[in-house]
Amino acid sequence: MITPDLVSEDDIAKLTIPDDQSLPADEPTFKAYVEAKVYDREGHLIQYHRQPMRSLTQYFLALMSIPIQGTSRSSSANQAPGILTNVLGLPSEVTNLAPYGSSIWGAANITWGWSIQLGSGTQAFSLSLTSLAAPIANGTGAGELVYSSPTVSTAGASIYVLISVSNGTPDTINVTEIGLIGTIYLIYYNSSDQATTNTYNFLLSYDTFSTAISIPPGGFATFQITLSFSG
Amino acid sequence: MPKDAYDTGKHTPTFSAYLTIIVRDSKGRVVNIHRQRSHSPTANFIALLLPYNYYSQINGSKTITNIGGGTCSYQPQPNVSAYNIIYPNANASYTPPGYLVMIQVGTSSYSNTFSATSLAAPIANGTGTGQLIYGSVSVASNIAVSGSSAYFQISQAYANATSNAITITEVGIVVQVYTCSANKSSPTNCGQVLVWYDVLSSSISVPANGTLVIYYTFTVNP
Repeated sequence: MITPDLVSEDDIAKLTIPDDQSLPADEPTFKAYVEAKVYDREGHLIQYHRQPMRSLTQYFLALMSIPIQGTSRSSSANQAPGILTNVLGLPSEVTNLAPYGSSIWGAANITWGWSIQLGSGTQAFSLSLTSLAAPIANGTGAGELVYSSPTVSTAGASIYVLISVSNGTPDTINVTEIGLIGTIYLIYYNSSDQATTNTYNFLLSYDTFSTAISIPPGGFATFQITLSFSG
Repeated sequence: MPKDAYDTGKHTPTFSAYLTIIVRDSKGRVVNIHRQRSHSPTANFIALLLPYNYYSQINGSKTITNIGGGTCSYQPQPNVSAYNIIYPNANASYTPPGYLVMIQVGTSSYSNTFSATSLAAPIANGTGTGQLIYGSVSVASNIAVSGSSAYFQISQAYANATSNAITITEVGIVVQVYTCSANKSSPTNCGQVLVWYDVLSSSISVPANGTLVIYYTFTVNP
């Protein structure tokens, strides 16, 4: 039996808590950017903006824990780690049955999708933010933007999430906030042998623009979030 | 390309990871404390982190390579037929979901940490020459919050039961990965997968009969 440690828990905590300032100024683990390009109705680029992303939420950290420590507490526990239940609100386990009329039992499983939400408000950041201050709805009504489907691409240790929006209204729309949205899908066959997908939505990041992004009538814009690990 | 929007050297990253290593001698006295930034998620990690919409767009899969060199295809989708990461099932007789296997240590290094699928020279679990006894790995049960910063931590202890010092130069996180669909009975065992890999900024010597504890800390808004 190995003694996990021989100093007090307080001592351990002091040594292991995040403390970026006390380390050498080498390459950071991670960089993230928010980028916006605005085009007028004729397709001319009229505004370009790029700024560091500042504010990942606790939900991003919890999502990251899945590839780092799996979905079970141990090889024998068969229950989800506390991060997934406490932070994301997922169940500790799921009862998965066979599809109706079948004797084949699959397994409950999990996946997730990402998107980008834009907004016209501002709010103070907190780790547990669940939405933008004033989300801009998808549509052509006053104050609305038409969202395309998000695209996700990757190059090495970088991930890019991009969305295009167009302004079909007669007025300029100002975008002042942006969030990376995550949707977790928990998929299984329920007690009635019916295919079931439970969805859980999270705000994975929240940033306000240092300069408002103005999309003119008939114009369109692209917003990209870059998550870049040093690799 | 636009210039880097970061004020290099002054900005605070929104995500960071740290590696802390505490070494003790045979009498339990701390003889070395090592701290460094952790830099290197592997290609396996990126493949597992990517959302399903990435896989929809490429209409294809990514290959996960385990530490033994075996591979599996990963192509998650939000439907009952797709092979996604298994979630804990109340039916305990069924295949267990994935779990944290270990923080593995080794005696060599790879220059391309992103493409690493195993440690360059892993140290085996045991009491033989050049081996370390691996203790249980500790999984984070929650996120610790302090102001606008939050973090979680995993750790593992090791003992050197040999009569010689053992030098560590590389560290990695290994996770067992299974995928399965909700309507098929055959899960895919992707095996033990290296998802994070670091070369130590200076080597760590574990004295004869000494111990070692490694902490990985992952944080947002440090």
